[in-house]
Amino acid sequence: MSTLSSEIADDSITVPKLLGAVATQTRVINALILRETKTRYGNYKIGFLWALIEPLVGVTVFVMIFANLRNDSPSGMPLVAFMLVGFCCYGLFRDPWGSLQGSISNSRHLLTFPQVTTFDIILARAILEVLVCFFVLGFLLYMAYLAGFEVRCENPLGVLVACCLLAILGTGAGFLFASLEPLIPSVKQITQVLNRPLYFGSGLFYTADTIPEAARDYLLYNPLLHIMELLRSEFFYEFETSHGSWTYATLWSFSTLAVGLLTHQAFHKRAIIKK
Amino acid sequence: MISLRNVCKRYRTQAGYRVVLDNVNLDFPVGKSVGILGLNGTGKSTLIRIIGDAEPPDSGSVHCDQRVSWPLGYSGGFQGKLTALENSRFVARIYGESPRYVEEFTREFSELGEYFDEPLKSYSAGMQGRFAFSVSLACNFEYYLVDEALETGDARYREKFRMAFEERRANASVILVSHNEQTIRRNCDMAAILHEGSLVLYEDLKEALLEYNILQNQPR
Repeated sequence: MSTLSSEIADDSITVPKLLGAVATQTRVINALILRETKTRYGNYKIGFLWALIEPLVGVTVFVMIFANLRNDSPSGMPLVAFMLVGFCCYGLFRDPWGSLQGSISNSRHLLTFPQVTTFDIILARAILEVLVCFFVLGFLLYMAYLAGFEVRCENPLGVLVACCLLAILGTGAGFLFASLEPLIPSVKQITQVLNRPLYFGSGLFYTADTIPEAARDYLLYNPLLHIMELLRSEFFYEFETSHGSWTYATLWSFSTLAVGLLTHQAFHKRAIIKK
Repeated sequence: MISLRNVCKRYRTQAGYRVVLDNVNLDFPVGKSVGILGLNGTGKSTLIRIIGDAEPPDSGSVHCDQRVSWPLGYSGGFQGKLTALENSRFVARIYGESPRYVEEFTREFSELGEYFDEPLKSYSAGMQGRFAFSVSLACNFEYYLVDEALETGDARYREKFRMAFEERRANASVILVSHNEQTIRRNCDMAAILHEGSLVLYEDLKEALLEYNILQNQPR
């Protein structure tokens, strides 16, 4: 039996150590994003195409319905751009919140590498989802412009801010559900149940003005509807929202992110061990 | 040096809690390769995962000031859908090594030939082990944590690994988990025995093997 040494590796936190940790984490997240991209899109040549097809189908269907119903979109916004902005930007929320859920249970084997944490895994996925959505949005808007539809952006910076709010909301919800899912598998059902009403209740293909007043008061509890209103208000010259509130949207986004991160902090250790 | 301080770990089973590590305190001496012996199901793999920080202990802490590999097993943290090439680049990136160097070293050392560009899930267990070892050798660790997997592959390949480790002896040590005495005798300077939650280090390898033999022959 050997005696124990009293000198243990120094565990105190110093600035160089902190910088080293940040460098490692950046490296890890970068590697995870590349790996996730390869896993998801690498094997199928049309993999990336799917990311485009999904919003495209939604937009086409609703453009056709609206074009036949009445020949204009709300407030005289150009119809194609109106739908594209609605459907592509909604992905900034839905994709992270949908695909982050399984990230701990699906990538448990990755934790074999000590520098990879559940936080890195979830964040890397979120970043990938958001980047793909931005790419899809930009690409489809450009295509629409080339095809001769009217695409003019009033305030790109405002659009970007609203998009970021959507991404933050989605990532926060994603962190929340990703941390709970290994412990309570039924949270998957919750998101499935919520998906449908959120899809129809977030103003993807209408503006708050066009909803009957009785329903509008309730729908305006939905922060996504607020952000969608603000987004269109910033994008289109023709439209100014009278319902969207930056304060309400921002509060929701950052509170959701805080709740998501805190839940992750509280449960990630148990989530790892739970098989 | 790797030090374990008051490390406890237990698992919940149908029959109640099962204690795997009961307040373990141990220093792994610098520059020595240590084998960890234990009967089946005593928690050897859990121990090496805790040493490698792949799993948190319930309480207590692991301290380390050197570059330690991930616990090397048959497949570990690799993605089966991706090829050996992509997996090796991933490992290089997270350890801050040059992806190109690691890729080339692994391709050469693993001798996987054309399989190197095939998805990992099409590999046999032996081939996966070969790949895992080759990648880890490319990364120049100071400690290699090995979980039984030295027995993978054919005899010729096992020998190649042993030689590679032998070459690195000067600046790299192995912590090796096995229930095979032969493997421990060939690769380690000393050995520890994990039994009923306690881990005892024997400076003398022969003494450890003797103890282990007694343990094995105990009626259970």
